[in-house]
Order: sequence, then C-alpha cells, then structure tokens
Amino acid sequence: MLESFLASTIAMATPILLAALGELVVEQSGVINIGIEGAMLSGAFAALVAVYFSGGMICGLVVAAAAALAVNALLAVLVINIAVNQVVAGTALNLLVAGITGVAYREVFGVTGRALTVRALAPLPLGPLTRIPLLGPALFDQSPLAYLALLLTAIVGYAIARTRAGLRLRACGEHPEAAAALGINVYRMRWTALLFAGVLSGLGGAYLTLVYTNTFVEGITGGRGFVALALVIIGRWRAWGIAAAALLFGAAMALQFTLQATVTNLPYQLFLALPYLLTLLVLALMSGQAAAPSALGRSYLRE
Amino acid sequence: MLVARGICKRFGRTVALDRVDFHAAPGEIHALIGENGAGKSTLVSILAGRLAPDAGTITGADGPLRITPGTAHGVAAVFQAPLLFEQMSWEENLALGGFRRSTRLRPEALAAAARAAHDLGFALPVPGRRVADLAVGERVRLAILRALSFAPRVLLLDEPTGALAPAEVEQFLDHLGRLRRDGRAVVLVTHRLGEALTVADRITVLRRGRKVAEVPAAATNERDLATLMVGELPPPLAASTYEGAPAVLLSLADLMLEKDGRRLLDGVTMEVRRGEIVGVAGVEGNGQDALIAILAGLAAPTAGRLLTRGALALIPQDRDLDGLILEMPLWENLLLLEPLRRRFAPRYWLRRRDAVEFCRALLARYAIRAGGPHDPAAALSGGNRQRLAVARALATQPEIVVAHDIARGLDLAATRELHRQLRQYAESGRAVLLLSSDLEEIFQLCSRSYLMSRGRLRPLGPADRQAGRFGLMLSGAQG
Amino acid sequence: MSARALLPSLAALLLAALLVAVTLLLLGVSPTRAATGLLDGAFGSPLAITDTLVKATPLIFCGLAVALAFEGALWNIGADGQLIAGAVAAGGIGPRLASWPHPLAVSALLLVGALGGGAWGWIAGWLRARRNVSEVISTIMLNYSAAQILAWAVHGPLIEASRAFPESSAIAASARLQLYFAPSRLNLGMALAAVLSGLAYLYLYRSAWGFALRAIGRSPRAATFHGLATTRVIITTLVLSGALAGLGGAVQVTAITHRLYEAFSPGWGYEAIAVALVARLNPLAIVPSAIFFGALDNGAQAMQRAAGVSAVLVQVIEALVIIILLAFDSAAGRRLGRGLLSPATPDSAEVDA
Repeated sequence: MLESFLASTIAMATPILLAALGELVVEQSGVINIGIEGAMLSGAFAALVAVYFSGGMICGLVVAAAAALAVNALLAVLVINIAVNQVVAGTALNLLVAGITGVAYREVFGVTGRALTVRALAPLPLGPLTRIPLLGPALFDQSPLAYLALLLTAIVGYAIARTRAGLRLRACGEHPEAAAALGINVYRMRWTALLFAGVLSGLGGAYLTLVYTNTFVEGITGGRGFVALALVIIGRWRAWGIAAAALLFGAAMALQFTLQATVTNLPYQLFLALPYLLTLLVLALMSGQAAAPSALGRSYLRE
Repeated sequence: MLVARGICKRFGRTVALDRVDFHAAPGEIHALIGENGAGKSTLVSILAGRLAPDAGTITGADGPLRITPGTAHGVAAVFQAPLLFEQMSWEENLALGGFRRSTRLRPEALAAAARAAHDLGFALPVPGRRVADLAVGERVRLAILRALSFAPRVLLLDEPTGALAPAEVEQFLDHLGRLRRDGRAVVLVTHRLGEALTVADRITVLRRGRKVAEVPAAATNERDLATLMVGELPPPLAASTYEGAPAVLLSLADLMLEKDGRRLLDGVTMEVRRGEIVGVAGVEGNGQDALIAILAGLAAPTAGRLLTRGALALIPQDRDLDGLILEMPLWENLLLLEPLRRRFAPRYWLRRRDAVEFCRALLARYAIRAGGPHDPAAALSGGNRQRLAVARALATQPEIVVAHDIARGLDLAATRELHRQLRQYAESGRAVLLLSSDLEEIFQLCSRSYLMSRGRLRPLGPADRQAGRFGLMLSGAQG
Repeated sequence: MSARALLPSLAALLLAALLVAVTLLLLGVSPTRAATGLLDGAFGSPLAITDTLVKATPLIFCGLAVALAFEGALWNIGADGQLIAGAVAAGGIGPRLASWPHPLAVSALLLVGALGGGAWGWIAGWLRARRNVSEVISTIMLNYSAAQILAWAVHGPLIEASRAFPESSAIAASARLQLYFAPSRLNLGMALAAVLSGLAYLYLYRSAWGFALRAIGRSPRAATFHGLATTRVIITTLVLSGALAGLGGAVQVTAITHRLYEAFSPGWGYEAIAVALVARLNPLAIVPSAIFFGALDNGAQAMQRAAGVSAVLVQVIEALVIIILLAFDSAAGRRLGRGLLSPATPDSAEVDA
C-alpha cells in the first residue's frame, strides 16, 4: 500500500509541479497569471483530441503545448501589450477556455453519452532502478512527464538563480523600469516567460487526460491551476521549494484516493482543502510576500 | 559624442525644457547646473533615452540618433534616484551591468568590480548584502560602478556626489578626470558650484527650462554662476498690512525625526505668528517631506514639541498624487480635506447637495475654470487644479496654512494669483508657512524665512538676501 | 453615473455576440437558430421569464459583492466561496428551525447566511489589511476551501437522515421562502436583491463610507495623505462584500434548493465579475446586467436543444465580454492616465502579489 501511495503521490504531484514551474518563471518576470487553470484545461482537451485522431502520443503532447501556448499568448497581449488588470484578465481566460473546451468537446465528439477514451501515455520504467524495493516501482516506473518535471525543477531552479538570463528575468519582476534602463526588453522577457509557462501548463493538462483518466470531462483540471499558483507561494518562489510543496500536495491528494478505498467515512474533502488552507497560513505567517518579486502584478508600459 | 539641439519637453501644460542645446564632447567634463525644477533631470533622462523629447534632435558620432533605453548607444547614466534592484544582492545588481558577458554568474565578475571600485577609491559592501539594506552612499557608489561597467563613451551623472562622504567625493572627482583623459564624455549634473568649477571643463546653466549660459569653467566664478542660476531677485515686498497682535499660531521646538537610523529632522525650531508668511527655503530632500508628514499627522516626531493654535490646512507638493484624486468629481475632491469632510459628511451620509453648492461657489470665487462641480479633477488644467487645492485649504478658514511648492509647474500669471491669495490670507490675521525650493518665490512672498539643509533650519537674515550669497548657500558651498 | 457610461458595455456585448456568431458559422451552426433558441429559452414563456429572473438572483447578490470590492480596488475573486460559506451556514441551521415562526425563521436563515459570507470575506480583509496578503490569492484559496468544506459537510456532519445521498437534510418548512407564483419559482429573493442594489448604490455614492472606499480605490496615496482610515475600510468592505454574496447563497437555500449538495454554485461568483464589469460597477446597473446573464444561463439549455451547440457557449460570451471591456478600459485608461480597471499606479498598495 505504501508503494502505491508513493507512486500516486508522484503521479498527483507531476501536473501541478509542471504548471507551477511555469508560473514561477512568469512571476519572476513580474506577471501574475490567474489563468493557469484555463491553460491547463486547453492542454488537457487538445491532448485528447490529438491522440484520438492521430493516435500518436508525441503528437498529443505537442498539440497540448501548442494549445496552452495560444491561451497564454492571448493573455500576454492583454496583460503585457495593452496592460489590462492581470487578475481580471486571467479570470476571464479561465472562463473562456472552460466555455470553448465545453463547446468544442461537443462539436468534435458529439454527445454520445459514453465516455470517450484514448490510449494512456505509458510509463517509462527506468530499467534496473525499478527493482529497488519499495522506492523502485514508486519512483522509477513513472510517466516520462514526471521525469521531465523533476528535470525542469533542476533546470529552472538553476537558471533563475545562477544564470545571466535568470538574473535578467528577475530584474523585470523586481523593477521593470530599471531593467529597461539597462537595456533589457521587458516586453520580450515577459512574453517569453508566458509562452514557456504555456508549454508547461499544456503538458500538465495533457498529463490529466493522457495519464490519469484517458478521457476528458468538463472542468477536468478541478482547480489544479490554482493549486499551482499556491505552490509558487508556499515554495517561496524557489524551484525546489515548489517541488517539495508539490509532493506535499500530491501526498494529500493520493492519501484521499488511498484512504477512500480502504477507510470509509473519512473526511477526505478536508485533505483536499489542506493545500489551500496551508497557502493562506503560509501567506499570513510570511506577512505579505516578502519573497515575491516586487513588481508582481504591476503592469509596465514603455514610454 | 552627443549633440542635442532644440530639445523641448512638456509635461501636460508645464514646459520642462524649452529649446535647449547641449553637447557632450569626448575628453570633456560638462557640468549641468541649475536650481531644482530647472530641467536638469529631464534633460538627462532624454539623453539617456528614458524620455522622448517633444521636439529637437540628438546626434551621435555617426549621425542622428533615436535614443532608446539601455546602453546600446554607448551612453550610461546614474540617475538621481538610482535605478537599483532593491531585493537583489549588490553583486547581482553589478552583474546586470556590463562587467562580464557570460551565461553563468561567476566570481570573476566580482573581481572586475572590485578592481573598478578600487580605481574609484570605493570600498565594496559586505558580500551578499541586499541593496535594500545598504546605506545611501553605498547605493550611489553601486550605481556609479554599474554605469562604468558598460565602459560608456558618454557617462551621465545626475547629482552623484550628494550622498558620498567628502573623502569619497574627492576620489570620485579624481576618477572623473581619469575618464576624461581616456577620451570619454562626462556630463555631471550638480547643484554644488564648487564641484562644477573644480572638475568641469565647461558649464551649462539651466533656469526654468531654458539654457541661460554655457561657459568654459575657467572663465567664470561661483558668484557669477549663482546669479545665473537664481536670476535677478525681486525687490523685497512691502511689510505686511496686518496690525493685530502677533500671537504665535504654530510653534516647533527642537523637533527631531529619525527613521531607519537616519535623522530626517534635526532640532527644527521655529515660530509662525499671526499675519506672517514664513518661508522655508532649501533644496528638496533636506527634510521638507518629514516636516510635512509631521504637520499632516502622518508621522510622530521622535523628540521635540509641536504646538498649533487653531486648525491647520495643508496644500501638498504633489497635487495630482497627494492632493487630489483625478478620477473623482471636484465636489468629492473637496471632501478629502478633513474639516470639509466633517462638515459635509457629519455622520453617515454625504450632504451631497450642500457640498455641490459649496463647490460651485468656490469655483466661482476663485475663478477656477471648470465645467462644474461634477467634472472630474482630471478635466482641469494644472493651474486650475492647484487653484482648487488652494481654494479647498482656504475654504475651511484655518488659522495656519502650510503650502509646499505650490507654484511648481505653473506659469507666471497663475503663480502670481496664488501668491496674492496667500498674502491676502495672511494679512487677514492668519498665518502661512511656505516651503519652497524656488528662491524668487520665498523672497517675493515671505516676511521671514529659514534655510533648510540636512534636516536643520537656520534663520535667514536681511544680509542673506543678496542673490549671489544665497545661491552659494543653496549650492552647498557654505553654511 | 450616467447611462452613457454603459455604452462601452453595450458595444462589448455586441462585439462578443458577433464574434460568437462568426465562430458558430464557421462551425456550421446557424447563429440565428442558436439565438432564437436562446431567446426562446430565456423569454419564450412566462415561466421562462420568471426562471430567468430566478437565475439572475444569485448573480445580483454576487455582482453587488464584486462591484463593492472592485470600487475599492480590492480584487475580490472570492464571491463564489463567500456565497458557499453563506449557503453552508444557512443550510446548516435551516433544518433546526422547525419550531420557529415563519418570518423569524427566514430572517434568521438569511442573517446567518450573511454572517457566514461576511466571515469568509473578513478572512481575506484581515489578511490584506493586517498581514499584507493579496486578496486575489486569499480569495481564490478561500473559494476552493469553501467548496471542499461544503463537500465534506454534505458527506459528513450535515448529511441527510438516510445517509444515502451526499446532500444535507432539507431545511424546516418554516424557514422556506414562499413561492407566490407557483409553479414559477419566482420568490422574494429577487425583490431583496433589487432592494439591496439600491442600498448598495446609496452606500457607495451617498454615504461617507462609500466615499472613503471609492477614494481609497482610486488613490490609496491621496486617501492616506488626507487621513482616511484605509485599514478599517479594507476590512469593512470585504466583510460587506462577503455578506452580500453569502446572502445570495442563503436566498438560494431558502427559496430554491432547500438543501445543500456538492457543486452548489455553478460558478456564480466568477460570472459575477462579468456582471459587475458590464454594469461598470454601478449597483443599479447590476440588476439589468445580472438579468442579461441570467437569461444567457437560462436560455443556454434551450439553445443546446435547438441548435445542438453546447450550453457552455454562454461562458464563452461572458469571457469575451470581460476581455473586450478590459481592452476598452485600458485604451480609455491610458488616455486619462489611469482607470479603475487598468493597471494600478505603482504607488498603490494594490495587488503586488
């Protein structure tokens, strides 16, 4: 049981970690993206459609990334180029994608009544590592996207903290006017960040349809985009902190499934509320966002 | 090489720069001097590409330039409020400069910085310290280092020495001399005349957005420069016609204010009496904001006493950000002032009709040009906004009016009108305290005045009225 | 606020409708058939009309909640959670009021609902005013917390007597709002909502508190300079905002559902953002704006039957309206310097997270 609990913790953590890493990069550039939920949803839907019609997993992932990329590009136009309120714009995008995917699902697949399923993205066992007792099957028999999430945690964490590009990114989130005065193109930086996050949200969304459920239902993301938003705060804007928080949340979700099956009458819904309550607690104790980029959520307009 | 011709810049209806010519030549230090609000910082921002001029051309060595922010044109700048990244370490701030073009941040960059700092005679801060935790002097040094790291052909420095210790200033000026020998162009904005004369080859004087002189440093002296900066002073005003008892309405005794370990006010003592307009002259940033905060009740003095007899109304320096709310209608803007709020919203509800009528009457009495009380404040011109702010303050008949830089950005006629109103108000047996960095204004209006410098006040006697001497004091050469 | 201020809203609605129509054409669906279906479902019969009003009622409550907070530049995304908090509070005590006289029971239910929503709003207000936590993040987190707490309640402590269905026991008959026009579900909740929109207007534009709120929303800096108590106003506003949404939840319980169940709110709190923006945050305009969106919701099913296009199409329209209005506002805001819905001024205490 412990083994399956560990395995499903990682499985649960993967999509939110992917989305949260994207959001980390976006927030470091000074933009707050409330629309992650929408981007993930578009990825989940696009992945299903692509796999259903092409049958290819790679195709599914690419199309999912592209769909979420498009969503974030729309957001980028709104919040970067015409500098509208980032919060309201993100909320609108969530509504928009929820509507579009709902309409499109019906258009594409009709109302057949039966759930539409596709082949699942197969796990990628890492050879002999899977034979390690307990940890082996849990950690090394995961979806390729889970390994990708881990790899990206390392890369994003390193890039933000230790590279010139990361520094320039943070400069945009810290003081966009000063960054511009040093010759950094703030618009381009924020655009790049949002597009990168789009790809990750799309993959996170694809994970939901191609790994969890093999199907699509309206609102399949179930608030995971907002969990990703919370992860960035709880992880205090650090990649490894975010990964740790994602595992914590993954465990809460996995516990729900594990216990639901074995123990009845367990208030598992309260487990599901934990991530959100924890975020509030962390924020209250941090007294504001001491670690947050100073210009987060603030529009920057070129002279 | 950078040549600017006929540069004009307006902010709304305010003319910040009026057909200004300026150039920065290789191997030359060109000092740009002038009083606060003369347009120095605006010109620097335009040369650095942070602001676009409304008219005029800028030519580089290879022809006309459309300067954009950044360092691509070989121009680097240190602005008056250094554009630093507060939450980052000072090393990261330096790394955003031009020290080393590598993907990874390496310690070598630090070594280069340390060498550059050594050349300048600067010490580097404790490793890893956040900029927000650095002292003012350290921050300026950091900004200068970062600008120099781009190895610019033109270096623009806006009041760089204000926050440096005397020994550092000397070394810094020395280094500027070295940059000149390297064939770089240096533009030094300063209000310290001594500094300009010591180090510069050429001095340009701005006054109220116009270039009034460009002279070789060798051919001038402090006295002439001060007169050029300040202009001819108006004759002192006739004595106040107020003849009642000169009771003290506002008294400050040994007022101190410390914040974050910095002493913003240092033993400020003064009295303002009935019938008087008392002036506080001084360059901005010498404690004026702290004094206003205390008078507005937004800050409590660390030590000392503040006594007022009767109500006090404030006319803030920044009418658009502090004084008014531009999106709100004029009548609601009146309610921002506490006494008017008490009058027109005594309990739960606004007395809307009364407030609107009151506003209408005020607009008529002060000849404020507006469509009516329901117009948003944004629809008014700058002058009319200021008239509204003054009218609002006077409308409550306070015993004491505190006015901070009220003439900023207004044309001469509007300024005169405001002055007449304040004068009249004081002569009706109230008191006015006027804070201003504009000497003409202080001399034109005030019966007594003080000079504020580094948080201290010192009374100005009749002997100080001489333009030259006063200009020198403002410039920090003396006193 | 004049009727002219609502012109951009009309333009945005038309533009959104046009965009959707073109999309439908491209999909091979007849826009006229969709529109006729929609209209028919929303206004085709007396029952359809009253149902539209019933659907609009929670949107009015939440729309008022959003407008009140947005006027103070408090980005309350949490009307949904506040509505649920109010509904849970009302649905929790509802079954225990059997012995209470009818008017008292209904009043108690509504009061408890308002208190529940207000408490949920207070958390966000306190966090913002005392701990400098962005209300955007806290209200989103509170939305999901409320949804999970509701799910837990209907599976656990509040589950109905047979424990077979995940829903709460029905509230006492004495605590139910009468349906005077049965079979129509039209009830006094709509009237209460309309009265509250009038009160909210008076509060916002005629009271000293409303003045302080609008001043703080437009320029926190000037408001602070002139000694307006920003902390108190922030907390009060979010409590009131939450109470309005919570009241909406309680009305829904007492008049329509009589009990709680999972997914109680179909996202009224989010839809309310569109409602409030279309009304330009004017409480009086919230009523027609909510009726418009209520009609969209109500007609959606009929449209789905008539034109074979999914009912969630109306969400697309809502989202497009918000986006178009934001863009309009930004263009206007840049001309005027800053607008309420365009970027915050750097000095404002706003979002920064």
